Amino acid sequence: MKKFKLLSIILALMTSLALAGCSSEGSSGEKDGKTTISFIHWRGEDVEVFNELIAKFEEENPDIKVDMTAYPSEQYQSTAQTLLRDGTTGDVFVSMPGSQFEIIQKAGFFEDLSGEEFVSNFNESLLEVGQSEGKQYALPYQLVFNQPIYNAGIFEELGLEPPTDWEGFLALCETLKENGYTPIAFPGADIGPGQFMNAMMMNNATDEEVFTKLVNGEVKLTDEWWVKTLSQFKELNDKEYFQANALGTKHDGAIALVGQEKAAMLATGSYAMANIKSHKEDVKLNLLAPITVSESEATYEGIHTTTFMMAVNSKSEKQEQAKAFIEFLSKPENASVYANKTGQHLTVNDVNYESEVLKDTVHWMDKNTRFQPRYLIPNADVEKAVVGSIQDVLSGTDPAEAAKKAQQIVDQNLN
Amino acid sequence: MKQSKWLYLFFVPGLIFYSIFFILPTISAVFYSFTDWDGLTTNFNFVGFENYTNLVTNDSIFIKAMTNNLKFMLFVVVFQTLFSLVFAVLLVKNTKTNIFLRALYFFPTILSSVSVAFIWSYMYDPNLGIINNLFTSVGLEILANNWLGDQNIAIYSIAFVQVWFHTGQMLIIFVAGLQAIPEDLYEVAKIEGASRWQTFSKVTWPLIAPAATIVVAYTTIQSFKAFDLIYAMTRGGPNYATEILATHIYTTAFRSFKFGYASAESVIFMLVIALITFLQFRVLRANRVEN
Repeated sequence: MKKFKLLSIILALMTSLALAGCSSEGSSGEKDGKTTISFIHWRGEDVEVFNELIAKFEEENPDIKVDMTAYPSEQYQSTAQTLLRDGTTGDVFVSMPGSQFEIIQKAGFFEDLSGEEFVSNFNESLLEVGQSEGKQYALPYQLVFNQPIYNAGIFEELGLEPPTDWEGFLALCETLKENGYTPIAFPGADIGPGQFMNAMMMNNATDEEVFTKLVNGEVKLTDEWWVKTLSQFKELNDKEYFQANALGTKHDGAIALVGQEKAAMLATGSYAMANIKSHKEDVKLNLLAPITVSESEATYEGIHTTTFMMAVNSKSEKQEQAKAFIEFLSKPENASVYANKTGQHLTVNDVNYESEVLKDTVHWMDKNTRFQPRYLIPNADVEKAVVGSIQDVLSGTDPAEAAKKAQQIVDQNLN
Repeated sequence: MKQSKWLYLFFVPGLIFYSIFFILPTISAVFYSFTDWDGLTTNFNFVGFENYTNLVTNDSIFIKAMTNNLKFMLFVVVFQTLFSLVFAVLLVKNTKTNIFLRALYFFPTILSSVSVAFIWSYMYDPNLGIINNLFTSVGLEILANNWLGDQNIAIYSIAFVQVWFHTGQMLIIFVAGLQAIPEDLYEVAKIEGASRWQTFSKVTWPLIAPAATIVVAYTTIQSFKAFDLIYAMTRGGPNYATEILATHIYTTAFRSFKFGYASAESVIFMLVIALITFLQFRVLRANRVEN
């Protein structure tokens, strides 16, 4: 009998301990007289560099400890918002521009950073995406060019130059095809449609508010700008300028095609350059964007995204320490370490770019590029419909019909 | 007698966890399905049956997802049951080779679904994948396909992986069922001069019918709830060709942050699964009576 009583007490204790564990403070508490701040992001590949920078930060700020967690990108997109709710996780967190920024802003999890001195460490013209109603809620750290990468060696060998109009782009693709290269490696199974659509539509719909107007019902996907974009996707596909069965190819597969020099262009963005180089170290790479209109009509030369937007959780009790960490990362000497070791352009002023890839493409920072349109779609369902219409066209559906089907989904999600 | 009362205490931890992780969330889901809650803030409004009405009348993706779910389920149930039954009949005797082959077929079951999804995604790659290369190398180019990129076949390509993944599990259930059949019956059938097919249809099948019902019931529910393979392999694409209810609910809740709406979808999803389970158990009971 006594044994059963004892067992019951042990069981009850175990249960209460397990439940108590669920509500413990987490990793952001105060340990050893140090204040621990939680830093969450999605760049698993940057953990080593961040560890190095965090060690330096902790040395300079002995009262602060940084507890970093890097979540897989997909998981971060879906769970970051919920992690921030009670303020114990993500004293410093990062967000993506577009719908994620909108959702977090609407939920009130961004602390206003407008008056902070370290904001001046960033290039003012690249900060807009982290602003809302005149306040600076998030500071984009990375600068990405979401337009095709090309093999400059193949271009030189064939005497090709980045074209300045649509006819020129088609002629370029034809020459590459005639010479045995797949003109464009297109990862249609994952990120390809969402990336390549930006450069394809940038001059077809020059109004940067076009997707806001779409969700407000002021413009439609059945209008000329999107049907034309879809038709041009179809033209590239019909002329076999993408690899065969492009919708079945994932990003890694497309990178391999470029790395093995079977394909001359990769339809994603500058962030894939380091991966291509890992296949073929001495390959010379550069960036171009297809101009889908005539030269005189072209407004934009390419696409950029300012992303990895650093912010302070408004629910955090350690905001001063969190701000100190962001200030540290935004100092040019620390930002330079991050840029060169990760192969990323940054939005921070006076960064010293030393890596070859970054030097080759740094001139794009001075070009007339447009912020990635897809990130300006404020509704995830609408974004999926837009990207889906490209996949639909590449599956053989007529562009006008694909646009109509996608517009039906947009109509179901109108604001 | 007193001692046996204390034994009930052993149910307490399980009951607490079951209440916290199943009963409470279920009640919450039903409650939130009548609201416009975004899942993040504490503000929400009651919208009555609006979410349910929208789902049925104004959400073409929900209907598409339901259709895909049925296609996926039918393919998996038919082929998983068939393959596991055939392999079980072939491998029922406890020879060393058969035990090794059973273990081999069971092996995929122990892998994580995300690993399986990645492995098969690479194998399905139309240009670099082993499947198309294999067909091409033996002169069967006609069978090479755009397995995950073709809207007409993508859902079946993933369903095939699901079958490959779980057939071993079902095979074990069938083997257990077959080994429980008394050897005498086969000897009688042999004396009576029954053919192999007659032996299977008149002796084996009726006696493993309960096992078959369990396999069909389990496979139906498992395939209807499928999420991980599909999400890791195609994210529901291309152009919603592999979108199923679970991926649609996930996108609605965690990408669009429409928790109220996603809760309504979950409630319908739960009711559909409950209905299927109920029907399966009715069939199971009927089989038990027959036998």
